[in-house]
Amino acid sequence: MSELTLSVTPPGTDRVARAARQAAKVRRWGWWYQAEWRLFSMKAYLSSIFGWAVLVPLLYVLAMGVGLGALVDGRSGGIDGVPYLIFVAPGLLVSTAVMSFSNEMMFPVMSGFKWQELYFARAATSGSAGQVAIAELVAVTIRSLGESAIFWVVLISLGATSGGLSALMIPIGALSGLALGAPIAAYSATLANEGFQFSMIQRFVLNPMFLFAGTFYPLATMPIYLQWIGWISPMWHGTQLARALSFGLPLSGAEIGFHLGFLVLAATIGCVLTVRNFRRRLTK
Amino acid sequence: MSATSVRPDGGVRGWFAANSSGNVRAVVERGFRVVGSQNWAIIVSGFFEPVLYLLSMGYGVGALVGDVTGPGGRPIAYAAFIAPALLATSAMNGALYDSTWNVFFKLRFAKLYQGMLATSLGPLDVAAGEIFMALFRGLLYALGFTAVIAALGLATSWWALAMIPVALLIALGFASLGMAVTSYFTTFQQMDWINIVLLPMFLFSATLFPISAFPQAVQWFIMALPLWHGVELMRQLSVGHFEASTAVHLSYFVALSVLGIAFTTRRLRSLFLR
Repeated sequence: MSELTLSVTPPGTDRVARAARQAAKVRRWGWWYQAEWRLFSMKAYLSSIFGWAVLVPLLYVLAMGVGLGALVDGRSGGIDGVPYLIFVAPGLLVSTAVMSFSNEMMFPVMSGFKWQELYFARAATSGSAGQVAIAELVAVTIRSLGESAIFWVVLISLGATSGGLSALMIPIGALSGLALGAPIAAYSATLANEGFQFSMIQRFVLNPMFLFAGTFYPLATMPIYLQWIGWISPMWHGTQLARALSFGLPLSGAEIGFHLGFLVLAATIGCVLTVRNFRRRLTK
Repeated sequence: MSATSVRPDGGVRGWFAANSSGNVRAVVERGFRVVGSQNWAIIVSGFFEPVLYLLSMGYGVGALVGDVTGPGGRPIAYAAFIAPALLATSAMNGALYDSTWNVFFKLRFAKLYQGMLATSLGPLDVAAGEIFMALFRGLLYALGFTAVIAALGLATSWWALAMIPVALLIALGFASLGMAVTSYFTTFQQMDWINIVLLPMFLFSATLFPISAFPQAVQWFIMALPLWHGVELMRQLSVGHFEASTAVHLSYFVALSVLGIAFTTRRLRSLFLR
């Protein structure tokens, strides 16, 4: 190969230098180029992403906030001192972000390794295997920020939250998504074949975490032997923070630190493992 | 086109003769082989979905709202209010999963039906075999979930046992309709439409709260949707309260099933026997 390139033309020193510069750029920014590609490729189904991003919050907030809310408010006069709609809205934003982030880290990751084999192609550039992993996490985090922002706008337009501090629910939603999505990406990267693992994650990890994360009622309502599902669920930690931001749920500094710490720790461990597992598989 | 191949004596017998070789068993047997060798884990785990919803919403939200108005105006616990609705929803989801995604894959990618119809099997055999498999799955879920409801003390009448066959009827209605609609789809993106119909139907069909929360116009719309009838029917059975509306709900699903099967058979014919 190298003889061939050498024999074609005597390369001018400027061409060699340009190629070297290009390679250096990819080594430095490869993760971003690849993330950009992933985001642009979402354009193919942008209308359906956008449609879902608006429709899902609208339906959930109307059904739970207004429908179930009429029942709850009529009986217990709201929760935590606010109407049910206001109570449930931040939880819906966070859990939707986590669900959607996690879904992006299952079949699409398997596809990158197995069906499209895009990751192998990317790893063959001047970039590194680790960058392939980082690109994936960055792209989906950006998408998650966008989706959470749309959710937030829907909530504002329905009067389910007010402006100001509540805008911080957008990064909290994306961080919560990363806290569960990154560990799932790390796991997906180890799978050689699609069995039923993703369905099992959906049924035995995502769904229970969603249902027992205190989204629809305060976690303390549950018997103590079921509360642990909420404690390990990024949805609960994110929701508590989002409630503080959205309607001023009183949290102590220690509580805020605990919730934020959990999310950051889970996200960090997940990212590190994802990079490691991607690297292992791409450099085998 | 299809009319020409119907035997001259016509009528219902002619229609059967033109669409079936009477060998539904072959399709069902294949279905069970797949269950045995591949996807039993998926099928078994599907049972947990409504149970988790029941535990979470029934006891969590139940603690906030206490008793609600059940069929006939009698107060019942919130968990007892949503349990029959979750059974109806589970019957719908199970049946639709089998009759939409599975059928779509077999139709467009695996080309399974083309293979089947190249044998002596007719479109009615294929449709009936697939629907039977969906119902088998529905039966497992209905048995399991009814046992859970009984164990939690949420069923207060022996009529609750009738929820099992009625769950099958609900599943039959959805499965046959779902299969017919799926036969029109050619791309994965179109499959999104199924979710766009299912999600609001689940959220608004009086599953988790009475539809009286909504304005009259919205209520009429919800009442036109199949799931609402299934939910109301199950709820009445769970406490053994019947009224004129019970017959309406039941007829709705009988009609849906008959129309769905006829529609599906027609679609398979026009797709493959041109």
